[in-house]
Parts: sequence; structure tokens; C-alpha cells
Amino acid sequence: MNYRFQFGVVWENFPQLLEGAWLTFQLGVFAFAGGAIVGLLGAAIKTYGPWPLRLLVDTYVVFITNTPALIQIYFLYFGLPEVGLRWSNEACLLIGLTLNAGAYLTLILRAGFISVRVTEIEAGQTLGMSLIQQIRYIVMPHIAKSIYPALANFFIVVLVMGTSVGALIGVDELTGQAINLSSVNYRWLEYFTVVAGMYVVLTFIASIGLALLGRWVFRVKARIF
Amino acid sequence: MPHLAVSDVRAKYGSLEVLKGISFSIEKGEIVALVGPSGSGKSTVLRALMGLTPITGGDVDLAGERLNYSSSREVRAARDRMAIVFQQYNLFQNMTVMQNLTLAPLKIKRWDRAEVEAEARRLLGLVGLSDKIDAYSDQLSGGQQQRVALARALALKPQILLLDEVTSALDPELVGEVLDAIRKLAAEGMTMVIVSHEMGFVREVADKVVFMDAGQIIEAGTPAELFDTPKTDRAQNFFSNILRH
Ligand SMILES: Nc1ncnc2c1ncn2[C@@H]1O[C@H](COP(=O)(O)OP(=O)(O)OP(=O)(O)O)[C@@H](O)[C@H]1O
Ligand SMILES: [Mg+2]
Repeated sequence: MNYRFQFGVVWENFPQLLEGAWLTFQLGVFAFAGGAIVGLLGAAIKTYGPWPLRLLVDTYVVFITNTPALIQIYFLYFGLPEVGLRWSNEACLLIGLTLNAGAYLTLILRAGFISVRVTEIEAGQTLGMSLIQQIRYIVMPHIAKSIYPALANFFIVVLVMGTSVGALIGVDELTGQAINLSSVNYRWLEYFTVVAGMYVVLTFIASIGLALLGRWVFRVKARIF
Repeated sequence: MPHLAVSDVRAKYGSLEVLKGISFSIEKGEIVALVGPSGSGKSTVLRALMGLTPITGGDVDLAGERLNYSSSREVRAARDRMAIVFQQYNLFQNMTVMQNLTLAPLKIKRWDRAEVEAEARRLLGLVGLSDKIDAYSDQLSGGQQQRVALARALALKPQILLLDEVTSALDPELVGEVLDAIRKLAAEGMTMVIVSHEMGFVREVADKVVFMDAGQIIEAGTPAELFDTPKTDRAQNFFSNILRH
């Protein structure tokens, strides 16, 4: 291999990469959080809802999980202005990622809803809990505990793979920044080596954050790795 | 006036009528035992009282008030006043013993925390588990879990306690400790409806025994009347079979 790595220019522009990483992190967190709310609603409807609503959720899930995220985001990016909505690139990306994550999370959380022990639900009911209270105090802690690994993995998918789609609609998240910067001085390999490392660090921070959140909110003793 | 009066209560699973007009009553502080062969509808009686299985006919009166199970609000009003413990342990697994006891009083009733916790400690003492206050359910034996479930049911200060074969899933050596806890509740004057296969225990604590078969009450009376001098053939058969073991 004759290529000589020259990282100097990358370090000069490191603050911009950090900005990109920060945007990636925010996008990932908000898309996942929004997706979790959508997914929780979707899973609750699939479990308790009347059939017309269930059909609606099923249609949404099938539509989203069977098309690429990029297509969905392009759809918003090019489609929304046609109906008179002028949203920023970031907003299109965030809405797109949220809707995308919401569909997958509906499926993941649905598995959690199904696996709650009926006896625990009945215990809650006979103690006088409403449906919302059963979900809050029995189903959600159960989900957080039993499918935590699936949730954590999916968060990483959103954070790393989901957000990088933004580069294609001009959002300067980490991948977008790397493309912008390296196309100025052609140090592609150096930039992407550093950016890969930054993604790993991001993922690590995110995993710890999620574990602490689970412990704090749901009293889940989760392992981080 | 009886504390709980059940009159002509009916219930169905689908098209199958499993309670075909059940009537019995219980005075305050009394213990009534429901006995009968498997599938006779004992659990369904308790589930119907708690609003878990819909009642299709008949009336339930508790402390002089009609319980009406026609809306979810009414069902919750009934659940406010009665508590049930099932055969299967069903503690909330993600919570400690203390949290199991205090969740409903704090979050649903919004009672005062200091009082709720003091009462929880008292109840855990009553069932002999003061040292397990911070344990999770998977750190407890079956008998201990059932005693926590008893304490949890009592934490809402029910006017009547329903027990559905609370010792049936336990290893034999753990049955005694749970029965002891129930004896203590009886001594405290708790009104209870008990479904049990422990005939020795029923004879000891029950004021009245109700024998059911195929969704109907066949015979009711004191333990001595039913165990020693049953009037109906079906009761005779049942008790002579079960008491022989
Ligand atoms: N969820 C259900 N769906 C349909 N049928 C049911 C259901 N639960 C109970 N049954 C039927 O209702 C009848 C009464 O059942 P129940 O559980 O009340 O009997 P039981 O007296 O408690 O019996 P066991 O001593 O075995 O607990 C039985 O024929 C049973 O098969
Ligand atoms: Mg039963």
C-alpha cells in the first residue's frame, strides 16, 4: 500500500466534524424518541385498539418497513413543497426518520406488549389500574427490561445508519460534513477514518446513556455490552 | 344484613354458561370457603366479583350497596372495595416487595406516602416478611411471593378479600407458612371468600362451606355439616373422595 495518510488537514477541520457529530447525535436522539412515542402508540393500538385503527397501523408499518428510508425522506423532501409546506432539510430528515423508526419500533414494542404475563396485568386491573396505568406501570417496565437489547440495537441503527441519509439531502450531520470537507482537499480516507472512529465513540456514549436511562426511569439493571 | 350478598349471579365464557345462578352471603368478619370439583366455577365466582369475567345476570351487594359492573368506572369502584389473590404468583417483577405493596396506594389512590409505607411495613410484619422489604420477586420463594401478594392485596384496605387456591402452586413444605398468614388475617377479623383444596384448613377456619358443581351451588352449611353429614349425593361423593386423600 503506497497511500500516505496525512491527518493534519482533518485535525484542522475537526471542530466542524464535531459540529456534525453533535447534529447526528441530536437527530438520532430526537428521531428515536419520536419514533418510540409513535411506536408505543402503534403497539398499544395493535394490542388494544379497534380493527379500523389496527388496520391503519398495519398499513403504515407495512408501507414503511418495505421501502428504503432514503425514498421516504426524498418523498418528504420533494413532496412537501408541492403541497405548500416549506420545511428545512433538517426538519424533513427528522420527520422522515421519526416515521421510519416509529414503524420498526411498533413491531419491536408490540413483541413486548404480547410478552407481558397476563397474570401481572390482571393483578394491576384488580388493584384498580386504568389501561393507561397498566401500560405505564406494568407493560413499559416489562418492555424496557425484556426487549432492552433490541431497543438499544435499534437506537444505534437510527443513530448511525438513519441519520447518515441526511448527507444526501444536504444536512450537515457527521457524514455530510465529512463529504463536504473531504471534497475540498481530497483527503477522503483520512476523513472517513476519523469519522468512523467518531461514530464508534457516539455509539458508545449513546449505549451508556440508554442504559442509565433504563436504570433511572424503569429500574432496569441492564448491561451496556 | 349480610356484608356481601351474591344473588343469582350468572356468567358465561362465550356461549358456555359457567355460573348458572349462584347465591350466597357472608357476614362481616366471616370466612366462606368455596369448594367443588375442577371446572365447577369456583374461580369464575371470584373473577366475576372482581369484574374480570363479565356478569350476565344477578346482583352483588357489598355493605348494603349494589355493585354494578356495567361500566369500567363501576368495575373500578368494585375493585376499590375488594381484593383478590390468585393461585399463580403475579407480583410485579420489576419492582421490589415494598414497591409492589405501595404502587397502587401511592399512584392510584394517591394516599399519603408516610402512612402507606407504615401500613406496608405492618402488613409485611403480619405475613412474616419484614426482612424482604427490598427484595425482588425472583429472589423470593413461591410461599414468600404468595405472602407478599396477600400483603399487597391488603394494602388497599379492602372490605373483603378473595383467595383463589393461593397454595395450590406451592411446594408442600411452603403451604404452611401461607396458611399461617391467612390464619392471622382471620384473627384480625378480615372477611374472606376462600377457594381451597386444603380441606383440613377449610374445616379449621371457615364459618361456612359452599359446595359447587357444574356452575351451581349444590349444598351449603357449616364445615361440620358438609364434611360429616352431607345431604346431597354429589357432595357426599366429593367429600368422601377428597377427604380420603
Ligand atoms: N378463560 C376461559 N375461557 C373459556 N372457558 C373457561 C375459561 N376459564 C374457565 N373456563 C371454563 O369455565 C368453567 C369454570 O371454570 P373455573 O376456572 O371457574 O373452575 P374452578 O372451579 O375454579 O376449577 P379449578 O378447581 O380447576 O380451578 C370450566 O368449565 C372452564 O373450562
Ligand atoms: Mg379455579
